[in-house]
Amino acid sequence: MKVSKWLSAVLSLVLSGGLIAGCSQPASNPPASSSGGTGQAGQTITLKMVESITSPQRTELLKEMLAKFEAKNPGIKVDLISPPFEGADQKITQMLMAKEALDVLEVREFNAKQFSMNGFIENLKPYTDKWKNYDQLTDIAKRRATWVDNTPYYIPNGLYQRVLFYRTDWLKEAGLEVPKTWEELLVAAKKLTDPAKNRFGYSFRGGPTGWDYALITIWAYNGTQVDPASAFFLKDGRTVFSTPESLEALTFYKQLYKEASPADSVSWGFQEMVQGFVSGSTAFLIQDPDVIDGAKEKMKEGTWATAPLPIGPSGVAQQVVGGPGWGMTAYSQHKEEAWKLIEFLSDPEQSTTYAKRTSVIPVVKSAAEDEFYKTGYFKPFIDMNAQGQTYIDVSRPVDYKGWGAWQSAADKDIQSYLLDKISAEDLLKQWDQYWTKEKAERK
Amino acid sequence: MANKRVATELKKPFRLKGEGMFIFLCLLPALLFVAVFTYYPLLRGVVMSFQNYTLFDLLNIHFIGLDNFAGVVTSPDFPRVAMNSFFWVVCSLFFQLLFGLVLALLMRRRFRGRGLYQAFVFFPWAMSGFLIGLIWRWMFNAQFGVINDLLLKTGIIDAPIPFLADGKWAMAAVIMANIWYGVAFFAIMILAALQSIPEELYEAAAMDGAGRFQQLWSVTLPYILPTMLVTILLRVIWILNFPDIIYSMTSGGPAGSTHIFATFMIEKVIFGQDYGQASAIGVIIVLILLLFTVFYVKATRVEKGGDF
Repeated sequence: MKVSKWLSAVLSLVLSGGLIAGCSQPASNPPASSSGGTGQAGQTITLKMVESITSPQRTELLKEMLAKFEAKNPGIKVDLISPPFEGADQKITQMLMAKEALDVLEVREFNAKQFSMNGFIENLKPYTDKWKNYDQLTDIAKRRATWVDNTPYYIPNGLYQRVLFYRTDWLKEAGLEVPKTWEELLVAAKKLTDPAKNRFGYSFRGGPTGWDYALITIWAYNGTQVDPASAFFLKDGRTVFSTPESLEALTFYKQLYKEASPADSVSWGFQEMVQGFVSGSTAFLIQDPDVIDGAKEKMKEGTWATAPLPIGPSGVAQQVVGGPGWGMTAYSQHKEEAWKLIEFLSDPEQSTTYAKRTSVIPVVKSAAEDEFYKTGYFKPFIDMNAQGQTYIDVSRPVDYKGWGAWQSAADKDIQSYLLDKISAEDLLKQWDQYWTKEKAERK
Repeated sequence: MANKRVATELKKPFRLKGEGMFIFLCLLPALLFVAVFTYYPLLRGVVMSFQNYTLFDLLNIHFIGLDNFAGVVTSPDFPRVAMNSFFWVVCSLFFQLLFGLVLALLMRRRFRGRGLYQAFVFFPWAMSGFLIGLIWRWMFNAQFGVINDLLLKTGIIDAPIPFLADGKWAMAAVIMANIWYGVAFFAIMILAALQSIPEELYEAAAMDGAGRFQQLWSVTLPYILPTMLVTILLRVIWILNFPDIIYSMTSGGPAGSTHIFATFMIEKVIFGQDYGQASAIGVIIVLILLLFTVFYVKATRVEKGGDF
């Protein structure tokens, strides 16, 4: 009797504790999986590789490419891990923290610094020095590869940059030209807005990572005084949020939301803004090349087209060109083989095929000569990259300690401003103080 | 003789000990499992909440006392997050209980197609909360959402309401989605309790001249009360810790107006990459729930129930 009482007491304690504990588990490290490595006779080496920007089509394509690689290198097998896109980077970070078996990984520009600082990823310089195709990379791709400490930590697999998508038929109907500047865009968007018909000028992004869109407007107004290497600051060292131009930009930004966008776009994320455009309720959309495929599928040929990003009153438009790519873990047991794989994936032929099939902008110089990119929907991307003076490639200060905290608060701040809860002056003052302090505290 | 008796006397507890040991060994795998997968992460979380632990700089992890807690509690968002959490739990729970009870009472009597109907009612419970959030997010959308469409067509409104663009509407919207999701669970639990009420009680009540409402009040409700009390306790714990719907519907927006503790914690991890502060929020949640549970159990004396 006593025993069962004692046992039930312990058990109930354990289980009730478990019940309450079931809530607040911070991301705990999953137990390390068995390490992949040599196993079978014949010394087959198994590489583990993980992707981050997962989509079913892309995983399919990567598997095809890996099959080719395995055929070329009979001694190497590759296991591809494809975590769902939402939260893939957290998953990868956790794998690295737990030192799980992993050889090749997809690094994003915003976590490259963090990974290299924590000693998770390998410096690829010894390999790129001997690599014949390194100079095949375009300038932008090279800048992405080496943007942490001027050292190549990964080889980009494609570029993500934005263009303006617009409805050719609506513009024609209203007798409007394709807008070249933000002001022209606002005028056109206002003219095309008709709530009664459920038509709006602009697919506004107010939801998750909407700060990104506020920034391209702020930069375009501040023009060339912005420091491209760390675009929250000006060349004279002050923050970009301290200028009268930024106040002008934010005022404009609110106009764009209030006068030419749907009211609930203050909470729109990627899905909604794209849906708004392809379903025929918005006239303009600023988005990545991967939207092209969806638009082709859902919209009639000839009703839409792409154009370069609108420029600001300063005559320039800054863009952040995202360039994720393949890197290697610092603790990999098979570095030579891992490099072989990265080299194969980054080969100009493979790389261009990959770019075409996943709708990203190619990273190799030879692609610009390709008919596919000289015409049609992809042309504006190549054009923009050819005019580096007007479309300036800038970097965000993701290498600052305060970046994460700022990012998590920024959407809230902008939404508060758009919903008239704080003034533009207060918002800018807040950000100006924050980044001035960040800069002062930086080691 | 006496010797023998002494021997058996001695043996008895000894044998029991052996038995106890055997039972303990049988339970050991389960205990170990719970220790490794529940208590270790819990302890890690508690330790983390006192550390400077950000992904930006993993090489610089050190104890910082109560700084994380201070940072969380003094942040301008904290009062609103606390208020939202309170409304989120109370409103969701009240309506889930009410509708769950009504549904259970409706499904109690046999009727044609009851099984199929029950399956439909319980279906939401088997779905992922995240998915439900996504579905409701599209339903509430002002441009292509079915809710606005229906309201417009029936002429209740003449312009679409941007539900998720306004803090008050957005909070109402996420609570609505949560009510829809949670009704099924209450219905399941209460239905199980209803089906265990002996029919004789109703017959006796009817003999004594009790009407339908009287029967509900004097027989049904007292009988299912213990079940309801336990279910309410479980649901409070779950609802407070349930970020899925809010996270996929609004990510805590617009302008932070729909954050509850659980989503606030996720945001700290995903965007802020600050595991220390996120763990501190987690510990705060645990403390709130512990306090609540202790008071609740004392107030309702759940041990009288136990209809499980």
